[in-house]
Amino acid sequence: MDSVLEMIRKKLTYKYVLAVALLALLVACSMYFVHHNYSFYDRPIAKVLETNQVANKEVTAEHGNKDKVFTQEILAEIMNGEKKGQQLHLTNEYSASATYSQAYRPGNDLFVSIDTDHANENAKLTGTILDVKRDKYILLVAWVFVFILLVVGKKQGLYSVLSLAINAVLISYALDMYIQYANFGLLLMCACSVVLFTLTSLLLVNGFNQKTYAAVAATLLGTLTSLLITYLVMWITAEKGLRYEEMGFLTRPPQMVFMAGILIGSLGAVMDVAITMSSSIFGLYEKNADITVKALKTSGMEIGKDIMGTMTNILFFAYISGSIPTMILYLKNEYPVSYTFSMNLSLELARALAGGIGIVLTIPIGLYTAIFFINRKRAKS
Amino acid sequence: MNTLVWLAVILFLLMIGIGGKKGARSFFAIMLNFGVLIIILFMMLGRDNDPVILTIVASTLISCITLFFINKVNITTKTAFVSTVITIVLLIFFIVYLTDRSMIQGFSEEEMGELYVFTMHIGVDFVKIAASVIIMSTIGAITDVAISISSPMREIFYHNPSMNRKELFFSGLSIGRDILGTNTNTVFFAFMGGYLALLIWYKDLAYSLGEIINSKVFAEEMIGILCAGMGVAIVIPITAWITALALVRTKKKSGATQ
Repeated sequence: MDSVLEMIRKKLTYKYVLAVALLALLVACSMYFVHHNYSFYDRPIAKVLETNQVANKEVTAEHGNKDKVFTQEILAEIMNGEKKGQQLHLTNEYSASATYSQAYRPGNDLFVSIDTDHANENAKLTGTILDVKRDKYILLVAWVFVFILLVVGKKQGLYSVLSLAINAVLISYALDMYIQYANFGLLLMCACSVVLFTLTSLLLVNGFNQKTYAAVAATLLGTLTSLLITYLVMWITAEKGLRYEEMGFLTRPPQMVFMAGILIGSLGAVMDVAITMSSSIFGLYEKNADITVKALKTSGMEIGKDIMGTMTNILFFAYISGSIPTMILYLKNEYPVSYTFSMNLSLELARALAGGIGIVLTIPIGLYTAIFFINRKRAKS
Repeated sequence: MNTLVWLAVILFLLMIGIGGKKGARSFFAIMLNFGVLIIILFMMLGRDNDPVILTIVASTLISCITLFFINKVNITTKTAFVSTVITIVLLIFFIVYLTDRSMIQGFSEEEMGELYVFTMHIGVDFVKIAASVIIMSTIGAITDVAISISSPMREIFYHNPSMNRKELFFSGLSIGRDILGTNTNTVFFAFMGGYLALLIWYKDLAYSLGEIINSKVFAEEMIGILCAGMGVAIVIPITAWITALALVRTKKKSGATQ
């Protein structure tokens, strides 16, 4: 009991309490803000007051799929704009599978358009539902994420959150630059950002030392080599088998967006491998400064073999899983299996494979750069 | 020849060249995992199959393949496996609740433009499918963290057999903290790479900040990244605790039989 009290007293330093209080204040203020920020939006927002289910029918759509379709009548209150405070009538049709729309409950905030053609002033206001106001959920999840990272990771957790925030700002800024100066080319822009991402993430988490410099060099070499290999393969095979048709949200040439996606997407995993390799090699050297290069190589390769499988798996699942909903839609609409797979999986698989090549290549690259840095250190001393 | 086949062959050769037998096993593990994913996809089409339960089954199989097939069955892979499954189960109910509240399931307004030829009344619960996608996309990362903690913990215990459970737990936690940053980064960039087209789309079509944050696809992506990060963080104390327990217990047992 005494030891617990002692621990609590030790933890309750002035700085610690101040940091927790500041964080709590930040959370409270931001949560209050997203729940009351209606006036910051131009689009009208309505809060659902009452819902009333008016119809409920079983449907058998094409291809024999059974589903339930519901119709809801919704009474809502307008929360911003000229008509603030007035009541609005909405109708909502949704199916049990919720592929597009969904049931609404009292308390939900919705973006709406208000019908304007009213002959007389006293008629009740009607409107159409456009979208859901999701900012409060995103903020909530973001805070839960920050909280968990801080509790589990303490100082390192804080650095991880900071590095993610910096990278997010960087990526947004890089894309702004790309759109402003389109003639630079997306790939060049991403290559520049990759250098920045690598520097900020690795230096922030691991500090300024030889170990980090070796990892930075290995990351850049690794991503460059894997990008070159992928580019070469795409050029030799004339991109046969890659189906760009299903690539959503395209405003730019798909090839470039795809290549840039490979570059950015595999970067995190390649960095992970590079830092793992360099810290373990440097760790071996620090424990025993007389260790031979041959021994370093053998141990390095063993470490590499251990991480190879799980690392490639990370990218594989991160990419492939996203196409599950569209594939379900295709298959439920009785599209042939081979067509469904080639349309929805070709790009994701190519991305995962290219990333895998980057990961595996970074193992020897990371090993030899670390050895190079160690040899240089030895020559100096 | 097909681009995908070429890339797969190059990956296979590299994995064998660098990783030898273990490399070959790693490559086949990926193929097996792909098989599991496809089978689960077909099972999700059935109207009476609950996607959440299917996801838990799939995650169990996938972490089995990743851990036991590549690294063989031993105490560290076993504890990593148990920790992965516990983390997944904890996370999935939170994610289902979240997708339901934030209504990020299904297809967005932007996607509907291309998908108008499809019937949307397909009788599959897309709230659960969306939750399943988020879990499946982080299963690789969660397994990776679990094995990266449990395996050095065994080494530490081997070199310092006098350590008690609490000390072991804290050493596991400290290993986890060291890899937390790079692992959240891995997940972050993997998601960003996949959504680069979407980000350029928002910038090109001059979406306002309010429109971006509230749109379905962005919310889905953000919640996906954040939940993946949470998974990577939560698995750290779980693995450290379970591995510490298992290591101390097996030592006691072997001590008793001797």
